[in-house]
Amino acid sequence: MATPVSVLRLPKGPDPNSRGFDPKSPRFIALCRTSIATSASSETNAEQLPIEQHARSVLRETFLRCLLSMTNKKVQFLMHERVKVEATFGASDIDVLNFQVSDLHTPIGVQKEALIRCQDVISFTCDS
Amino acid sequence: MQCDWPLLGPLQWMRYVNKQVKVKAGKDEERRGWLLTVDPVSASLVLVDFKEDGGASVQVVMGHAVEEVEVLQEADEETTQRLQSSFLPAKTRRLDPEDLRKRRAGVRSWLEKNRIPVEEEGDELRVAGVLTITPPYGPEDCCSSNQIILDRIQKLIQSVFQIQPDHTETDPDCPSTMEV
Repeated sequence: MATPVSVLRLPKGPDPNSRGFDPKSPRFIALCRTSIATSASSETNAEQLPIEQHARSVLRETFLRCLLSMTNKKVQFLMHERVKVEATFGASDIDVLNFQVSDLHTPIGVQKEALIRCQDVISFTCDS
Repeated sequence: MQCDWPLLGPLQWMRYVNKQVKVKAGKDEERRGWLLTVDPVSASLVLVDFKEDGGASVQVVMGHAVEEVEVLQEADEETTQRLQSSFLPAKTRRLDPEDLRKRRAGVRSWLEKNRIPVEEEGDELRVAGVLTITPPYGPEDCCSSNQIILDRIQKLIQSVFQIQPDHTETDPDCPSTMEV
């Protein structure tokens, strides 16, 4: 299944910056999800905040290092409806909304470069 | 059907780290593994499974797909060590104070030769008031919030260690008149 496929341009999602666009509409929420709030609860008192921030930075640093260790390795993505695809991991964006991958093996052929929406992914695995 | 996992927050997520967990995500799919970390931005869990041959398989479960997380057991000392060391950078070997001093002086004089203001603050070098270099003063040890300066200084320091590995120490009080 190594047939390369020509680049597919799927319709772009809603542009969050264009006029007359409702941020409460389901389409916006599904496609332009904002990242999780920086502070989990508004009752977090001032003493807890530095501890929470430290925890946050430790967690995030470890996560970024994991992503770093996965670059240029083969990963298997498990998507909705039990779809499994394999690709070579490239990068993630800062909000973990999209993954950039190369050589994505799909049922219709191999996509040389692709962006995978994280909302479509349930999990992904990498062997090291 | 979204569970509350993404809303727990860093302090609660930390309580699950270094434990073996069972995660339900997607259509009745269950996975197990040692929880290495939870991404605070996407609430994604990173599970590690150690294989018999010493390798590890890493599984990331996206936060939006998580239905249930259950703790199975705590990690013992050995597993915790293994988890911590799998992805963190190797600890720099300790240099003795005399070597560190020489290195610091070498890096400092190199920066001064390149017309960059640098001051010593204890063990650290402070560059142009916006960048700090901690021991052992390599490109990886530069910290700054200004990306442009960070990039420039990192490239400069990289050439110190490549071109002049035995960089002789110059007295910082007597700037060298060597032509470059």
